[in-house]
This record gives sequence, structure tokens and C-alpha cells, in this order.
Amino acid sequence: MNKKILTLMLVLIFVLTACGGAAPKSDEPVTLRMWVHTNNAFIAGYEPIIAAYETAHPNVDIQLENFDYELYLQTLQTAMPAGEEADILQLFGTWTAQYYERLAPVPEDVMTVEEAQKIFYAAPIGGYIVNGVLYGMPQEFNMEYGGVLVNKTKFEAAGLTYPPQWKSMDDAVADALKLVEKDASGMMTVAGFHFTAADPTWASFLAGIMQRGGDYWNADRSGFTFNTPEAKAQLQWSLDAVMSGVVDPVVFNDSTNFVIDAFFQGMVGIGYIGSWAIAEGQTNFPDFKDEWDYVYLPSVQGDPVFVADSGWGLTVSPNSKNQEVAWDFVKFITTDPANATKWNIASGTIPAMPAVAESAEIAAAEPWVPKALSTLPFGQYMGSMPDRDLVMYEIIYPHILNCLQGVETVDQALQAIDTEANSTFK
Amino acid sequence: MNLATSRNRKPKGGLATSKRRFVTGVTLPMLLYESIGLFVLGWAFVLMFFDYSPGRVGGPILGLGGSNPFVGLGHFVEMIKGTSVQANLFRISLRNTLIFAVVILPLNLAITLPLAWLLESIGKRFRALYRTIYFLPVLTSSVGVALIWMSMYNPQSGWINAIIRAFGGTPVAWLSDPRAGFANVSVAMWAVILAYLWQDYGYNMVIFIAALQGIPQELRESALIDGANPWQAFLKISIPLIRPTILFVCVMTMLSSFQVFDIIQVMTNGDPGNQTQVLMLDIYKSAFRYQNMGWAAAESFVLFLIVMSVTVFQMRILRTDWQY
Repeated sequence: MNKKILTLMLVLIFVLTACGGAAPKSDEPVTLRMWVHTNNAFIAGYEPIIAAYETAHPNVDIQLENFDYELYLQTLQTAMPAGEEADILQLFGTWTAQYYERLAPVPEDVMTVEEAQKIFYAAPIGGYIVNGVLYGMPQEFNMEYGGVLVNKTKFEAAGLTYPPQWKSMDDAVADALKLVEKDASGMMTVAGFHFTAADPTWASFLAGIMQRGGDYWNADRSGFTFNTPEAKAQLQWSLDAVMSGVVDPVVFNDSTNFVIDAFFQGMVGIGYIGSWAIAEGQTNFPDFKDEWDYVYLPSVQGDPVFVADSGWGLTVSPNSKNQEVAWDFVKFITTDPANATKWNIASGTIPAMPAVAESAEIAAAEPWVPKALSTLPFGQYMGSMPDRDLVMYEIIYPHILNCLQGVETVDQALQAIDTEANSTFK
Repeated sequence: MNLATSRNRKPKGGLATSKRRFVTGVTLPMLLYESIGLFVLGWAFVLMFFDYSPGRVGGPILGLGGSNPFVGLGHFVEMIKGTSVQANLFRISLRNTLIFAVVILPLNLAITLPLAWLLESIGKRFRALYRTIYFLPVLTSSVGVALIWMSMYNPQSGWINAIIRAFGGTPVAWLSDPRAGFANVSVAMWAVILAYLWQDYGYNMVIFIAALQGIPQELRESALIDGANPWQAFLKISIPLIRPTILFVCVMTMLSSFQVFDIIQVMTNGDPGNQTQVLMLDIYKSAFRYQNMGWAAAESFVLFLIVMSVTVFQMRILRTDWQY
């Protein structure tokens, strides 16, 4: 990125932080409840920043409460209609379109839409803007597209070049084929290229459509267009990769041998997954002995255009009695470069702000981020849809997996995806 | 004072007041508790006529109307002939639930009834031991049972496939192969059924043992003296006499089969290709994952109607008018 633009952005961030970072007007005690989903790495990131804010504002007490993911969803859905939610809410940006009626818009003196679009990458901020109104601030760039865990030990054992020098996706498939292992009965025990979990499946499918020059939105973005030549070419490519033998999608998918578990147990050579998996894998499999790294795949053709969710971030409840302080804290944790850096390093996530993503601290702590810097600007927000989870996890992924497992043809899968995904707009 | 006057006279004094207080004290909390349940049922009944999502503010009265619009019987029409993903999933889930319940009930009876008869006929010392062993899975949490069976079904490291390999067979991806099946039921569904049966059969077995022990011994002894063998005595004497218990077990097993959730959610979460997606799981996902509370309420009502119909039907065909 141009140095002048970077400097300008940093100045803008510092000015915004300085303006918004003032202490609450009153010195009366303020207690804020903050709800987040249970993710130990994320929580480890929040705690010291909360402590720092409380030190700077001795009258403020922020109580962090966490819930298991499914329970968090249920808690939000029952607490919000009752107006009983916490003051500060962790929200996955893409959910904003579903919850915005129950969220407080970001006050203009805290941050305007234009300011947010300048300091954050397009994909992470995109989800927080609904109908031109900003409802929260992102903390991470949730990039499910393009990143793979690679097992160096297996690469070297197979006599492959390491680090991989893939010029095209065909190069990656060729390497993957040499990494495959099967037992005497023919059951695949090591997948060469595990790309058949849910997130990599929809992420690569949508990116493949875009990179081939297509789009999955219709012209006025009122519906989807999944039954297109570009979609067919992308799905056919995935099917061809499976047929070549790089992965058996029956025994390597989202529910059986999930990519993180399988990779960190030595059952995967190349595992397609977002970089958030790194922290989780390191935490859950500390005894994994193989050497490994995280690299990025080439595009199927042209620029590495991709779509992304608007990742985890923070917003404020309109029912909070201390909205001013709550927004002040949200701004403190999300837009202050030092705090954002700390949180991204602790959580192992890609920063939502280019200025932070390009910092030396991030490069040192998260060496996979600099590798993604040339790709991140190509990321677009996937677009607001009535039910993102339903489309990704109950429509796109099951039909593609059916196709890869030989239960549906490419045409049947695309037809079903198109019909069912469009039915979510009714 | 005659007897009639005495009976009609209202009790007076401290004892009567204490009784009234006791009755009020016991009844009121129960009524309050029940009213919460009735409110929840009533709320679900209302929701099924709305396209309600808790994420939307909706109208001024309980969030109904506005962005949570009234749809009348629209959800039910969609379930029958809709092409939306929810409608497809509902029909698949309904089919899977029926398969699950229809397979579970006879298999459960076929295992538990003879086993109870066998255990009832052995010595007291061993009877208690075996009864404990068979009942242990009932006491185990469903999540634990699911995890145990998942490890056994693991395609690469599970011992079921290890045995198959040892005999030169082809291993099976028990929980994830959508192509494998038996008798038009997917292998994943069979795998889940087996795990569920293993956990559940001890409960019915204990009930059957209790029922068999309640049969007067002289009835069986008379049959044996008259020349019946033990199997005939079981079929002709014991089974008819425990018919009310069989009815109870059938109804309870059917009810729990229709409401199966946790073991399937952990083992497959409805996979592969929705082949193990059952109604309770679909209702849960619709309500809490996809926030379609109105749709989930309508699905719950359908499940209620099915369960009620099946229960009434079973009670009709297995009804007895006598007791021994």
C-alpha cells in the first residue's frame, strides 16, 4: 500500500481515537456488561484491554460474560426481545442484517460510515453497515478463502518442494496427490488436500465464481444466480479434484475428520481453512510434532477476488443505560491501533484495519498475515442476505458435498442451490 | 346431630384453617408453575401463525405484526407443497423421524421383552447384577453415549471397522457415507438407531421385569402343570397379562423416539446429506440457529399432532378392560 495513504490512515485513526477516547463525563460508577461467545483465545485478548480501560477510567467496571457459541445465539435471541441483553455485545458482522432492528447505530460523534470505511477493510466493515447505517465495529478480517495449513514434514517426506511454489491451483492438486495415504483396505488415512469442510467449500465456491468473472448476486442484488457457467465451472473443478483422488469427501468433511482436528493429528497434507484455525490448533493439539505453516493458494484465474464475512466485532445495545461509555470502550478496543494489535495477536486473527495488518508487530507475531496482505484488498463483503447461515450451511455446503460424494450431479446441485437459496428471500 | 347433618357441616377451628392453608400453599405454586407452562404453549401456538424472528422488532404487541407478519396457515401450506429449503428439510426430517420411531419400537420390544423374561427367570443374585449392567447405559448421559459410539464408528480408527478389516472386508464410513444403506434406510441412520437402542433398552427392560414379577406365580405354574413349555407360558400367559405394561412401554418409547435429539445432534447433527435430520433437530435449528421461531412453532405443532395421534392409536389397539 502506498506509504502516504498508510500514513494518512494512521493519522486519521489517531485523531479519531483521540477524539473518542475521552473519559466519560461523569465520574459516577458505571458498570458495563459485555457478552462474548466462548473462545479462549478471544477472551485472552479482551481481558487485558478491559483492564487497561478500567485503569484509565477507574469509575468503569466492565464485566465480561461468555457463552458457548450455540448458547450465545439462544441467549441473544431471547434476551434481545426482552431488552435484557448486555450493554456491549460481540456480534459476527454478517449477522447485523438480521439483528439491526435491535441494535444501536454508532453515534456520529463516535464514528461515521465514511470514517469507518476509510479505516477498515471493505469486507469486515461491510456487514456492520445496513441501509447506510453503521451498527458496530469489526475486530477481525474473517477470511475463509485461500489460506491453507501445509504440513512441511509430509511435504519433505514426499520429496515435494517446500515451501510450495504453486503458480496455479493445478500445481496445488499435483502436490496434494503425492501426499495422499491409504491403508490396505483402500480407506484414505491422509488427505492430500482437505478442502471439503463447510467454510472452505462455500468460500472457494463463491471466490471461484467471482474469479471466473461471474457473480452470485443478480443485477439489483434481490436474489442469487447460482446456476451460471462460472458456478458450473467452479463446481466441476472441485469435483475433478476429488475424482483425481486428493481427498475422499466421505471420510474428510465438516463432521468427520474436520480439517483442524485432522491436520493437527497428521491426517492432512494441505488443509483449507481460515487462519483462525492456527490459534485453535495450537491450543488443542500442543503435542503435534510435525512442522507446518500457513500459506495462500493461487487464484483459479485472474485477480484473487474473493468474498468474505464481516467477522467478529462489537456493538452496543440500545437498551444500555450507559451507551456513551459503552461506545467509548468499543472504540477504544477496536480502533486504537495498539489495542487492536494486541487483540488480533492474542486471538490469532487477521486485523480488520489495514494500518494494523501492515504493522511490524503483527508481521512478527502472525507471520501468515503479511502473506495475505496482497490478497486482502481484493476481499469484498459477501452481501447482506436474509439468512447467511442457512444459505451457507444448509444449502450451498450440503449440495456441493452431495455432488462431491457422488449423490448429486453438478447440474442437480447447482439447480437445488439456486432454487433453495432464492427461496430465503421470500 | 344425625350423620347427614354432621357430613354437611363445614369443619371449624384451627385444623380446618390449617388444612385450607396447606391446600392453598400446595396448590398455588403448582398453579403458578402450570401457568408458566401454559403461557409457553400458548405463545408457541400464537407464533405458528406468524413469520416471527426474535431478531426483528415487529409490531407493538409482543413483537407480532410489522416485520414479523401474520401468515395464517401459511407455514403449514409451505410444509406440504413448498419448495423452500425449510419445507424440504421439514419433509426430510418428518420422514426420518417416522423411520426412526417405526424401527426403534419393534427392535426395542424384541430386545427388552425376551431379555426381561430371561433375567426374571434366573437366580436372584445374578438377576440384580445383570439388571445393573443392562441399566447402566440408561444412566449414562446421551452425549457420553454418542461420543463412545462415534469413536467406535470412526472410519479410520474405530474398532468396528478394525474387525471388518481383520476379516478382509471393506470398511464403512458409518456416520458420513450418504451412499451406503440397508433396507432403504441410510447406514448412518442405522448407526444412530443402534446407539440409541443400546442406551435406551435397559429402561424398558426394568419395567418389563417389574411387570413380569407382578404376575401371580400360580398362573404360570398351572400352565406348566398343564403341559405348556416355558416359551408357551411366556407367550400365552405372561404376554397377555402384561399387556397394559406393553402399552405403557410402547407409548413411552414412541414418544421418546419422536423426540430424539441429543444423541443425533452430537453424532451426526443431521448428516450425511440430512439423512439423520429428525424433527426435533430441525425444530431446534430453525428456532435457535436460523431464528425462524414462527416456523419452528408450526413444526412443533405438527410433531405434537403426530405424537398425540400415535398415542391415541396405540391406546386404542392395546387397551385392556381388566386387571389381574
